[in-house]
Amino acid sequence: MTDGRAFGPGTQRYLDGEPSPALGSGAEPSPGERAAADRLIALARAYAEGLEPVSAAMDEAVMAAVRRRGAVPADRGAWRWFVRAHRVSVRPVWMAALAAAAALVVWLAPRRPATGTRAELVVAAASAADTVFVRFELVAPAARSVAVAGSFNGWRPDALPMVRGAAGIWSVTVPLPIGEHRYEFVVDQTRWVTDPTAHAQVDDGFGGRNSVIIVGPKGLVRS
Amino acid sequence: MEPSDGTIVRRVLDGDVEQYRFLVERYRAQFGRYALGLVGDRDAAQDAMQEAFIRAFDALATCRNPDRFGAWFFRILANQCRNVVARRRDVVDLDTVEAAGADRADAVVDRGELAERLEAALARLTLEQREAFVMKHVDGRSYEEMAELLGVGTDALKMRVYRARDTLRELLEDVR
Amino acid sequence: MNGRRMRALVLAVLAAVPAALAAQEGAGAGNVAVRLSARGLPGDLVQRVQRIATDAAAHGVPAEPIADKAIEGWAKHVPAARIVAALRAFADRMTEAGAAVRSGGLARAPGSVIAAAAEAMGGGLKPDEVSSVVRAAPTAEEVAPGLSVAASLTAQGLASRQAVTIVVDAMVHKRPMSQLLDLPSVARSMHDQGMSPGEIGEKLLPHHGDHGPGGEHHGDRNDRPPGPDHPASPVHP
Repeated sequence: MTDGRAFGPGTQRYLDGEPSPALGSGAEPSPGERAAADRLIALARAYAEGLEPVSAAMDEAVMAAVRRRGAVPADRGAWRWFVRAHRVSVRPVWMAALAAAAALVVWLAPRRPATGTRAELVVAAASAADTVFVRFELVAPAARSVAVAGSFNGWRPDALPMVRGAAGIWSVTVPLPIGEHRYEFVVDQTRWVTDPTAHAQVDDGFGGRNSVIIVGPKGLVRS
Repeated sequence: MEPSDGTIVRRVLDGDVEQYRFLVERYRAQFGRYALGLVGDRDAAQDAMQEAFIRAFDALATCRNPDRFGAWFFRILANQCRNVVARRRDVVDLDTVEAAGADRADAVVDRGELAERLEAALARLTLEQREAFVMKHVDGRSYEEMAELLGVGTDALKMRVYRARDTLRELLEDVR
Repeated sequence: MNGRRMRALVLAVLAAVPAALAAQEGAGAGNVAVRLSARGLPGDLVQRVQRIATDAAAHGVPAEPIADKAIEGWAKHVPAARIVAALRAFADRMTEAGAAVRSGGLARAPGSVIAAAAEAMGGGLKPDEVSSVVRAAPTAEEVAPGLSVAASLTAQGLASRQAVTIVVDAMVHKRPMSQLLDLPSVARSMHDQGMSPGEIGEKLLPHHGDHGPGGEHHGDRNDRPPGPDHPASPVHP
């Protein structure tokens, strides 16, 4: 993986402080390379020397906390597995909002939802067995447009527009395969924002963040 | 002669918590530059280190090999520092940093500014690359030491360091 | 709404949503340039990405995830130089990930598994932790989801070793994949109820008698780090 800007292998070894190859063997760095390498070392040295050390006052702050505790806490050992197998449930308030919103909300149920206070988001039976409908929501009353773009639609900002509902809540429901998905919302076609309700936010590798959800066969829990 | 890590840990576990100070001093000296180089901001690095020492104390009973407290503590510190950096990346506007650097390209750069330029460039590396570069060139560790502390093979570490060097070279080409 | 009408609506939605549901396996490095050009990436950037992908493929690293990442960067208006730097780092991470996956016993892992391992390592999992998950997975199909779940729990604030222990234990005890895939949701709702990552980790860790969690881990050269090894509050935008 080289292009003009990368250090050659000989220079990397030189920077590693390894003994130089025999003169004329062709593996030693060119003068230009060597100068660039030396510059980098000098910079690192200047940086290191410029670092103001962590002060000894920190020791006292640590000891103050240690003294407050009095003694090392005991090792708590084994813990129990608390997670029971359970159906993922959706709260009725959420369901009412679904019905009221203009958004297209579709789910498949092999039976009618049970009467009573709880409804269930059930795996779609007619489509692919491992596809689940997932609802994305963003509260953005001031936005003129919101869309969702992610690993499931090639990061196209225009492919999944969301619909504005009551109280400025934008939403869309999308069929997704089970597993991990990364995405962001695109607000007003220019601003990429993460989803505060996602399972996690991760580095996207470009200095920004992606939201991550992991979709199980029973759908997502949203509180 | 100074007592070993294992001796101090056992004394602390037996109830003499004041002894913990020796570990704090020892590993502030050993790993302080790592924290500073990785976090970049002296106050934040100090906070991260402080927090790491306190967590290490709280978990001291789970340290299975007291004679290797240092390596065990390093993991706690590394996690703490990485979390600080990850959280800060949400806030730092990298474009501002880049623009400021470009403005100074033609000016005479003194040592303070040099360090700032490198800091800005380091912030553009991935966390692992920055960590590897700092350990190699700011801390001056060997690949074997780094492998021991990070639990990653030397080949992978070399790759990270090489990548970091290439990226830094590109970012800092105009600096003389 | 009766069943038939619902089904018709669903099919209409499925047809209308241009979702990339199918895995893009096996397309290979040659396809990269075509895909990128189709998405509007400029010629010289396409060439640079192609070089990275070809080089990566020669090292056994899958090309498709690299193309996906390039497309992501372009869609987000990331400057070309930064895209290239990110791809090189990603390719490197996939090389490491490939080694970790092979180390866990999966000799010829599909590209999607290596990409999942790379993303997991980017999220904080160590190579030996990746290998643990690979080793524990009952089938090759469960490796990627297992890694994703471990990475997601880690991103939510659990220590990576703790997250991996939870996943490995679930696999070793042959819990259904649906239960595993539910874990990030469960952790998330515990968080929303006000539990700290430490408490969540405690609740999810398996019971191991006197040995404490993480008893079956191999290759742990350093000592087991303490449980609450993470920020006080989970990461939020």
